[in-house]
Amino acid sequence: MANRIKTIDITDALPDIDDFCDIPNARISGEIFHRQDIYEQELEKIFARCWLFVGHESQFKKAGDYITTTMGEDDVIIVRQKNGSHKAFINACPHRGNKVCFSESGNARGFICNYHGWSFNIEGNLIGQHESGIYESSQFDASKWGLREVAQIDSYKGLIFATFDAQAPSLEEYLGPMTWYLDALFDNQEGGTEFVGGCIRSTMDCNWKIAAENFVGDILHAGWTHDSAARAMLGGAVSKVSDFEESYSVNWNGHGYEFALDTVGNVAVLGESALNKYLHTIKPSVIDRLGEFRANMIGSVSSCTIFPNFSFLPGQNTVRIWQPRGPNKIELFTWVVVNKTAPEDIKEKWRKGAMITFSPTGVFEMDDGENWEYCTKTARGRVTSQQDLFVGLGMDTYLEETDLPANVYSGQLNEANSRAFYQYWGDLLKSPSWDAMPNNNKGKAKAGPKASQISDKTDGIGEK
Amino acid sequence: MFYKSSDHLTPVSVEEYHRISTLLAKEYRILDEERFSDWLDLLHPEIHYWMPGIENRRRENPLEYGFFDSKHMAYFDDAIRDIKRRVSRFSQPSAWAENPGTRNVHIVAGIEAFYGEEAGEYCVYSTFQNIRSRGLDEEYIFSGRRYDTWSLVDGVLKLKKRLILMPNATLTCKNINTFI
Amino acid sequence: MKRVFLCNVSELSVNTVRKVDNAEHGDIAVYNLSGQYYATADLCSHATASLAEGDIEDDLIVCPVHWGTFHIPTGEARDFPCEINIRTYKVEQEGDDLFALIADKAEDPSLIAKG
Repeated sequence: MANRIKTIDITDALPDIDDFCDIPNARISGEIFHRQDIYEQELEKIFARCWLFVGHESQFKKAGDYITTTMGEDDVIIVRQKNGSHKAFINACPHRGNKVCFSESGNARGFICNYHGWSFNIEGNLIGQHESGIYESSQFDASKWGLREVAQIDSYKGLIFATFDAQAPSLEEYLGPMTWYLDALFDNQEGGTEFVGGCIRSTMDCNWKIAAENFVGDILHAGWTHDSAARAMLGGAVSKVSDFEESYSVNWNGHGYEFALDTVGNVAVLGESALNKYLHTIKPSVIDRLGEFRANMIGSVSSCTIFPNFSFLPGQNTVRIWQPRGPNKIELFTWVVVNKTAPEDIKEKWRKGAMITFSPTGVFEMDDGENWEYCTKTARGRVTSQQDLFVGLGMDTYLEETDLPANVYSGQLNEANSRAFYQYWGDLLKSPSWDAMPNNNKGKAKAGPKASQISDKTDGIGEK
Repeated sequence: MFYKSSDHLTPVSVEEYHRISTLLAKEYRILDEERFSDWLDLLHPEIHYWMPGIENRRRENPLEYGFFDSKHMAYFDDAIRDIKRRVSRFSQPSAWAENPGTRNVHIVAGIEAFYGEEAGEYCVYSTFQNIRSRGLDEEYIFSGRRYDTWSLVDGVLKLKKRLILMPNATLTCKNINTFI
Repeated sequence: MKRVFLCNVSELSVNTVRKVDNAEHGDIAVYNLSGQYYATADLCSHATASLAEGDIEDDLIVCPVHWGTFHIPTGEARDFPCEINIRTYKVEQEGDDLFALIADKAEDPSLIAKG
């Protein structure tokens, strides 16, 4: 049979976490983007423990369909089973450790190691080897030497997550009320979403947290960083975020979603009026499904990161993982997500539109990459890396009285989500176990009765 | 790259080969000189400019064209409007990542030219290498193969189709901020 | 020549294979290919594997372990890593019963299934 992974030992926490991650005082240090010892702690205490995005159910149509990806720096195979469920295995043979699947996707009867012909079926069971006789005469117990299966795998609305940690809370508990907001993109129509075929992979010489934090709650950069791209795609400047009457930053367990309620602000930068029209066309049905509040989010100026490294942009419909590859490097996997029920020509426009904006050739991503690389590179300086970096915007914007779920802050020009991201990150680095994690969530774990209709016009909350 | 080109085409005359090969060299010179509007002049209004993403697949699970697929994600899958938008972004004063500018050298080699299926069309195959440098020390090099269709419009050759294939399933740098 | 009971026709639906234990001659795989019955040795000639656990693709049986194939009607090894042919047996139907006819010695030594 497949064999569960052996849980790794948790080493002592670094002694100086409060020095480089001091969220009560709204400051961090650049060394978190550079230090090798911090990075090694991240692999152990974050990537080996948290739920990580590994694939979308639409990438698997029949039994034996698989993709290969990584969880942190660990290679894994995700494969659909005969009963429609998914399993995730470490992509390494338990004999000498060679990779057993080299292809990024496909369909297979199983996985055969190139080295000694150990053969595993899609359930991960070791079912034979080349020169099988020698194993039989060595009293070899094949049942102990299957592929190593991750501790937990689960999905939410098509998004498959896995964790190496048997002690990790359930995916439901881990995502918490963020699922209420995820539905705005991943469940706004019957049937949910699917990924367009393919996956674009590229590298950036930046720390993974800079990218993840950019999507968790930094719309502030967009108007300045992306001015050239917005002008190219729209023929004019991007809408000024501070002009939005109502916008929010919400977070939970280090995840964060910042958004306006303008329905089409993000999709508009693809420069395809048919896509704006599509969102306006489906909006009444989204109101029926999710209520008016979230119907305003389907393609609005917004972004999200699910801690630690899974991010997306509603509207542009780009979905990505920032795979850590050392303190100074990421591998970026990007996909395009579309509503399953969208007309083919709409899906096609999203495929192209997402790529021309957010991909290595995307006019928006080019300016991001440049910023993120140099945020990382300056941290090489021993002195520079010890200086404070400011994350203090919107310190007094927490909304006590709201029916919206999660920790809710008014305004998306706000570093509340970035602070929550780094707070959770620092807490994980300190905590020897999940039980030791402090609970910094103070908002509602479930949406209140008025959440679906809520707006500043009806109950007076909001930044203005 | 497992894309199979046709071997049944007729090679062009020496004069036409000279005309086409010098045009490809000129195209790369004007790209290196950031003369984007001159480069746009070389493009056919109905151009399909396509650089698909390369996927690392097993031989028994090929995509539509082995390692790539016309319905999958692509670096470029552009019509003329899309290309003009990219050029427009390069040309904005707020294109921060282009100031200081990127310094490019494009190299074309292995040019083969054939008469196309339609009168006035040419199938042109070539290999390329692009070397970019940015900042003080950044350098990115990538190579690949191109399958072009050039078409005569009022006696002038215009690029009507270009398929760009690089061998890499992972682009080992942050972007492709140039045309190939 | 021995006549060995395999299974009932009703137990072998179209395009399936099942294993019949046989200590004396080696286990036998019996196949129903579109209503035509065949029998071969069940043990793969490459490495330890029961062919009856493999998939049928057209008239080939795919070994479940290393995905080599054998031609079901003739026992011929077709795809890597299978290179040694497997033994085949003539199948006789009598009412609902299927029997394999097993020669005392295989006519062709290369068709003797390993083990």
